[in-house]
Amino acid sequence: MYERHVLICAGTGCISSGADKVEEALIESLKEHNLENKVRIIMSGCHGFCEKGPLFIVFPEDVFYCGVQAEDVSEIVEEYLVKGNLVERLLYKDPVTGEQVINHDKIMFYSKQKRLALRNCGVIDPENIDEYIIRGGYKGLKRALQMNPEEVVNEVKTSGLRGRGGAGFPAGMKWQFGLSSPGDKKYVVCNADEGDPGAFMDRSILEGDPHAVLEGMMVAGQATGADEGYIYVRSEYPLAIKRLRTAIKQAEEYGMLGENILDSGFNFKVKIKEGAGAFVCGEETALLASIEGKRGVPRHRPPFPAVKGLWEKPTVINNVETLANVPLIMRRGAENFASVGTEGSKGTKVFALTGKVNNTGLVEVPMGISIREVVFDIGGGIRFGKKFKAAQIGGPSGGCIPEEHLDLPIDFDSLTAAGAMMGSGGLVVVDEDTCMVDMARYFLSFTKKESCGQCIPCRLGTDQMYDILEAITEGKGKPGDVALLEELASAVKKGSMCGLGQTAPNPVLTTLRYFRDEYEAHVHEKRCPALVCKALLKYQIDEEKCIGCQRCIKACPVDAITGEKKQPHEIDQELCTQCGACFDACPKKVGAVQVLSEGLTENKELAVREESK
Amino acid sequence: MEKFIDHCCEKCFNSEEKRCDVFVECCLEGPLCHESEPCKKAREAIVEKYSHSSAFREH
Repeated sequence: MYERHVLICAGTGCISSGADKVEEALIESLKEHNLENKVRIIMSGCHGFCEKGPLFIVFPEDVFYCGVQAEDVSEIVEEYLVKGNLVERLLYKDPVTGEQVINHDKIMFYSKQKRLALRNCGVIDPENIDEYIIRGGYKGLKRALQMNPEEVVNEVKTSGLRGRGGAGFPAGMKWQFGLSSPGDKKYVVCNADEGDPGAFMDRSILEGDPHAVLEGMMVAGQATGADEGYIYVRSEYPLAIKRLRTAIKQAEEYGMLGENILDSGFNFKVKIKEGAGAFVCGEETALLASIEGKRGVPRHRPPFPAVKGLWEKPTVINNVETLANVPLIMRRGAENFASVGTEGSKGTKVFALTGKVNNTGLVEVPMGISIREVVFDIGGGIRFGKKFKAAQIGGPSGGCIPEEHLDLPIDFDSLTAAGAMMGSGGLVVVDEDTCMVDMARYFLSFTKKESCGQCIPCRLGTDQMYDILEAITEGKGKPGDVALLEELASAVKKGSMCGLGQTAPNPVLTTLRYFRDEYEAHVHEKRCPALVCKALLKYQIDEEKCIGCQRCIKACPVDAITGEKKQPHEIDQELCTQCGACFDACPKKVGAVQVLSEGLTENKELAVREESK
Repeated sequence: MEKFIDHCCEKCFNSEEKRCDVFVECCLEGPLCHESEPCKKAREAIVEKYSHSSAFREH
């Protein structure tokens, strides 16, 4: 038996940071110290704390080393595995208290999380079905096979599970439609076309716990009468696809997939369909068209896919995270699942926490937790002591939640009421240095590019909204633009055929709702309060502070700065392109270059930023 | 028996042709179709091999 287990995070993030090389170095080092039979290496799925990767955790003590590189491995082996001395420089350091933390569950990033969908991610070797079984895997399927389809559907209904892909539709009700739809052939489709920029919840589940998704699909098959499943996954997720293929092969070998599963008479097979990267294919009818080999564009509903879906057969489509919850519901029971969360939103939600927080990564939290807890406890607060401004929740189709709503509980209904949405789980935190108009423009640039162009409100409406936003950020906004934006946003929302267009205006609408003064400042005062929109900025050099080092002169790409050595320099405003190179080049301790956005305001309340962004 | 799918002895009949309906339970609590201490220990050894912490099995 092994004395120790070393768990190296082998999610895509940690692999790109060198986890593979860490593994190679560990194999070598263990051999050198004759420990290869005493220490087991587990290449696990994502542990969530991608920013600190590669992660290297030693069990049974649960010593958490982060940012480990191949060259650190021999020191860990010699000092810790052989002598028992902690390698302190590789321990996690709390960004707020500055204290070192040894065990991963004592780290704030993890301690407030509740990992249900991610229960096996970062815990098991995802390419080993035995580990999944030891963790309770396939017990949920076994229970489902002992129940009739109506009982399985009722169990999922009772659990209160709502779809985690965006809309939050009750999963049990969707299954009920699938079960009630007559047909000798039915399908289950796993929507793994995760397209929100920066979101990687589904990828991490597929990479870290592929059997959970397969088991969830099989339970859905048993509940609805389907005998075939498709996983529609982005081709940009090669590791997830590899691990899924391995899991399917193992499940077939173990008799969990295929004919007469567990001698129950239930048959189920799973195929993988790789998507080509169109964002709109995350919309369920576009996804089905893509599987069928057609152009991936949405179609009108009804009929809904549960009635007429893949090849016109009843098809239940669930997102990865939704399906990963199903085995747990079947194994522990609906009431157990429903004991977590709020009245209308049961269970947990996985978020990709990014932006201006100290701790970024993948977090799973109970529904009902406040945004404040996620940002300041799990996320460790705002970087460089800056001020929180907003949380963009729900990806490019989500909305901004401002500081006054920091205590808003994260659940489907509260977020919708605040103008945002749960979405698939993107959570981008922005600080005082973010221009909300520019951010709305940025998200709209994504959705307008990804519009399939089939319906006019989405195709033209998002384009027109983008043009107005671009003009505003370039200082060309006109009176009436804000009202026009609102009118267009409302039309696009109401008139678009699918979820892409119906939600694309959300970032604009919520920034207008909560940060209208910023729009007004851009349009009427030609001023960007956050000092972001280049066309509204002015760079100048403070003569008192300038030491005449000429760094800004060398950095300026348009030779707009003049000045002798050790003499104050000057920027020619006619030549300046507001690129900010001088600001970046000026030594921080000198801080002679200032950014201003004076605009047309007469009271000269200048927004002056003297610190680096 | 290196993996759960391996037969612990000739009494295990789980195969593609004849699936065992209690295979999942048998992996962790087996053998269920016969009494055998070595077969039980073989399963426990697999569990022991992969359980890297006390909480591993409790989930």
